[in-house]
Amino acid sequence: MLAPVLSLLGRRLLAAIPILLIVSALLFCVLRVLPVDPAAMSLPPGATTAEVEAQRREMGLERPLAVQYLIWLQHAVHGEFGRSIHYRRDAGTLVAETLPATVELAVMAMAIAGMLGLCGGLLLFRLRGTSVETVGDLVSMLLLSIPEFLWGLILLFLFGVVLHLLPFTGRLSPGFMRPSITGFLLLDTLLARRSDMLCDALAHMALPAVALGLAFSPTLMRVLRSSLFDVYAEDFITQARLRGISETRILLGHALKNAALPTLTLAGVQFGFLFGGTLLVEIIYSYPGMGNLMVDAVRNADLPIIQAVGLAYCVMVLLINTAVDSLYLVLNPKLRVR
Amino acid sequence: MTASPRALRSGRVLAGLALVLFVGICAILAPLIAPHDPAEQNLLAILLPPAWALDGSPVFPLGTDSLGRCVLSRLIYGARTAMSVAIVASVGAMLLGSILAHVCGYFGGALDWVVGRAVDVWMSFPPVILSLILMVGLGTGLDKMILAIILVDWTRFCRVLRSEVLVVTQRDYVTAARLLGFTHWQTITREILPATLPLLITLLSLEMGIAVVVEAILSFVGMGVKPEQAAWGQMIADARQYVYQSPWNLLLPMLAIILAVSGFNLLGDGLRRVLDVRLAELGR
Repeated sequence: MLAPVLSLLGRRLLAAIPILLIVSALLFCVLRVLPVDPAAMSLPPGATTAEVEAQRREMGLERPLAVQYLIWLQHAVHGEFGRSIHYRRDAGTLVAETLPATVELAVMAMAIAGMLGLCGGLLLFRLRGTSVETVGDLVSMLLLSIPEFLWGLILLFLFGVVLHLLPFTGRLSPGFMRPSITGFLLLDTLLARRSDMLCDALAHMALPAVALGLAFSPTLMRVLRSSLFDVYAEDFITQARLRGISETRILLGHALKNAALPTLTLAGVQFGFLFGGTLLVEIIYSYPGMGNLMVDAVRNADLPIIQAVGLAYCVMVLLINTAVDSLYLVLNPKLRVR
Repeated sequence: MTASPRALRSGRVLAGLALVLFVGICAILAPLIAPHDPAEQNLLAILLPPAWALDGSPVFPLGTDSLGRCVLSRLIYGARTAMSVAIVASVGAMLLGSILAHVCGYFGGALDWVVGRAVDVWMSFPPVILSLILMVGLGTGLDKMILAIILVDWTRFCRVLRSEVLVVTQRDYVTAARLLGFTHWQTITREILPATLPLLITLLSLEMGIAVVVEAILSFVGMGVKPEQAAWGQMIADARQYVYQSPWNLLLPMLAIILAVSGFNLLGDGLRRVLDVRLAELGR
């Protein structure tokens, strides 16, 4: 079972290289047509024209675009994405500092979306043929119409502002000194055996993660339900009924396994989108991840950061897609036959 | 069209159409029905609650924002922004995506390969991130935002329609048309397009909902329309800072977005059922 997964991983990683090259080249081109001058921005406002010219030469801005890109690529391969114009720090380091927070949020949200999608899909399917079916259908349709940033605001309003139940800014309450072992806050608090801090961090993550999870669950729900319908048209369900197996066991033990596969394919694409959705939720909850870094960079036209963060998002989406595909291979025995 | 009377009997299509028309009419008639100029500031009446609240004023039916601008008028003019983005950007993305899908699916070959790889590259980028980066390159403004949405979302059409064109091209009647001496152009427009049209219409309706959300997101982040233009996302961003003083200012534009998006989604979902199109995979 391991060999096909490994070969898939190998093929995917090879295919990712040209994609990343093209994405980085596109990013580079889009950001170079900007009407801002990175050289002038990296100098104090009183700089003379001669100083700006010297800075331009030093940054290689007078060379052809292709050459500039190759120089940038050469540095990027070594992990150097240039210095942030705004923060005056290495862009790669800034991304590395914020990435763990975003990954934790995304993983938590995916777990919530998966769980809600599974339960909701089963419930919607169970309601088929009853008078509540239309209601369930309309509710899932309404849920589908609420994007993640509206969920973020709705939950913030309800649980943060009206009910005062959960914190809604940042990652930790003031007064906590976060341990830095791996960079992943939840993991660090576990390693440091600080259960009070872990609870605090989880409370801070609850609203953003649920908001994201809620936004991405309805699609999963609806696909799971329609693939359950497809599976129930198969003969083996009728046969299971004739053997006297209970409806619940047919649904959970026989049908669900088969219906899970198409849902998983879609989940791959959805989770890629979900990773992008973290950006908005992070802004709403002032959550210190890549999204806030990105929006700050966009507002300040901080090119090195936009490039590095953009590439980081792309790498994460490719990783998520590969992970879901490998899982698909593990779960689907048909694909394992050579 | 035999589909039109059937479509009009579907509850979803009717409900969706009603919602979309309501928002659409507000958008078209904005100068006539808005009680105030959406940019008119009244610093003596800032953050007023809606008229039915205790200290509300009948002059501002839904209250005022932090600069004393009329919330109702801004909502109505915001519908203008939302609907123009929804319609122009979706039609643009549909044209680009479906033309490429038809040409690639029908002819195959090198162009098909190139477009397929381009779709792969696009799919490896979360749409929000891609549109933000494009807005950085293009600058803010309604036209720029429409262009950015077209450049991001053409893949949604291209991916789904291309596989449909591949299936249709294999049908016998397409071969028959070719044997009768139809040119490639005639075959695509007269034989293939009618078969892919239902899917195309459904996708278009869903894309309009997506475009409304993207417009709201970009305006919310401050990378959408110019600051003087009213947009729902901008109203939300502004109201977020005064959420304790006037929660209505936050809730109303959110409600407007949900209304518009669920209208387009209901319409799309209803049309999909009526036109009986199999949407194998559907991105958000």
